[in-house]
Amino acid sequence: MPERNSAGRARVQKAPRRERGAAAIAAVLRAHAGGDYKKRVDLEGLADPELVAVARELNLAGKKAQERSDEVAARMEAVRVGLDEAINAMVRLVVHGDLSGTLRLAASDAALTPLIAGVAQVMETLKRFVREIRDAALQLSSSSAEVLAAATQNENSTSQQATAVHETTATMEELKGASHQIAENAQMVASIAEQTLSATRQGEGAIRAFMESMEKVRRNAVEVDEAIVKLSRRVERIGTVVEVIDEIADRSDLLALNAALEGAKAGEAGRGFSIVAAEMRRLAENVMESTREIKNLIGEIRESTHAAKEASDGNKRMAAEGERLGGAAMASVTGILSGAQGTSDAARLIHLATQQQRSATEQVVQSMGEIEEVTRQAQAGSRQATGAAAELARLAERLAGLVQRFKVE
Amino acid sequence: MSDSIQLLLFQLGARVFAARAENVRRIAGPSLERPEDGVESALGDPWDPRRGLVVEVAGEERTLLVDGVLGLKAVPDSDFQALPAFARDVLPTAALAGFAMLDEVATLVIDLPTLLREGKGAALAPSEETPRHA
Repeated sequence: MPERNSAGRARVQKAPRRERGAAAIAAVLRAHAGGDYKKRVDLEGLADPELVAVARELNLAGKKAQERSDEVAARMEAVRVGLDEAINAMVRLVVHGDLSGTLRLAASDAALTPLIAGVAQVMETLKRFVREIRDAALQLSSSSAEVLAAATQNENSTSQQATAVHETTATMEELKGASHQIAENAQMVASIAEQTLSATRQGEGAIRAFMESMEKVRRNAVEVDEAIVKLSRRVERIGTVVEVIDEIADRSDLLALNAALEGAKAGEAGRGFSIVAAEMRRLAENVMESTREIKNLIGEIRESTHAAKEASDGNKRMAAEGERLGGAAMASVTGILSGAQGTSDAARLIHLATQQQRSATEQVVQSMGEIEEVTRQAQAGSRQATGAAAELARLAERLAGLVQRFKVE
Repeated sequence: MSDSIQLLLFQLGARVFAARAENVRRIAGPSLERPEDGVESALGDPWDPRRGLVVEVAGEERTLLVDGVLGLKAVPDSDFQALPAFARDVLPTAALAGFAMLDEVATLVIDLPTLLREGKGAALAPSEETPRHA
């Protein structure tokens, strides 16, 4: 184009009329190129027939282009109107929520067919979405109500659980104190049982020593008894000898009396005889007096030996009884020792068990404290969940209310 | 010794008696003599007859069982007091010869042959309290 323009300007310079015509044509062409199809070349001002022909064709083309442009503008207007209608219809549908109908447009331009189809599809999609959202909202409302009920129940349960856990914790605290007391008592019982066992062992040793002493007493009593029997026999022997001596003394006394009697009968001649007889009699009486004393002593010894014999027999009986009682006591103490041993073992086991129980109880108390804390947290969470469920239920109701605004059927 | 008499002192029961020594043939021990030879007398029964006074009575020996013979004692005649006549007439027995002072104690002197001849029938009651002092 710049080359043609420079050539035209050269021809104008050579032929001014022809150049003016070309310039007029060029001006019309530039107007057409700018979209102004109403511009026409003035044929009257053209002298060159070739330019006239060109101008004529240009004017004709401009006319056709104008017609075409008008036609397009009309179609564009129709489309714009259709779009406005569609948009307005959709806006109304959205605002009023009525999706039950179908989109009907006054414009019937074929170009709007895809748009109408698209809008219809969008509306169908919206209907489907609304239906699904409504169903989901209903389900959500129902579910949120169930969730709310469950959350409320859960909150109540959690509250009851917290109360129960608190009471259980308090009970476990008391149990912990009781376990501590039981453990101390069990330790005391174990200590007493050990002392009892030790005392019983000492008692067993004492009874054993007592039985040995009783055995010695019994042996000593037997020896004493034998000694008493020997002593009694010796005393009897002495008594026999004394009886003989006494009898001899009595005979001597009798002889002396008869001698004295004969001496007295003999008068002065028997005086010396009487003196000797009197002396003999005095000696015999002395002997008899001594034998009487000996007899008295023997009697006392007999009584003493008899008493000693009875005492010895009593000692033997007492020793035998003591041995029997000692044996019975030993049997009893053996049983007691066995029982004390069993008691001590059991007390030790109880002590150990109570210590374990106390430790376990303390652990349970600690765990219960942790459970209580967790329960407290769960209770708070449950309250929050209940609040959230209530909020969710409200939102679900609100959503359902919103969705209800859309009519799809 | 004509101025003294020989007395044999014997005990019978609780009391001490005296008898002339010449009236006693011998002194017997009960264990040596037969117990049945002993006779009962007006003096009562002995508690523990350990001696017997053997006396000849009418040509026979009779034994008075006594509890003991205390001995022989020579007593001056002045210390012997015969029983008064009225007393002999009053008493139921003739065996009581008199009293003798022995250690300042009046002791009955018994006529043993008469006593054993009389037996228990002419009892000198045991309960009767014989005066011990003349």
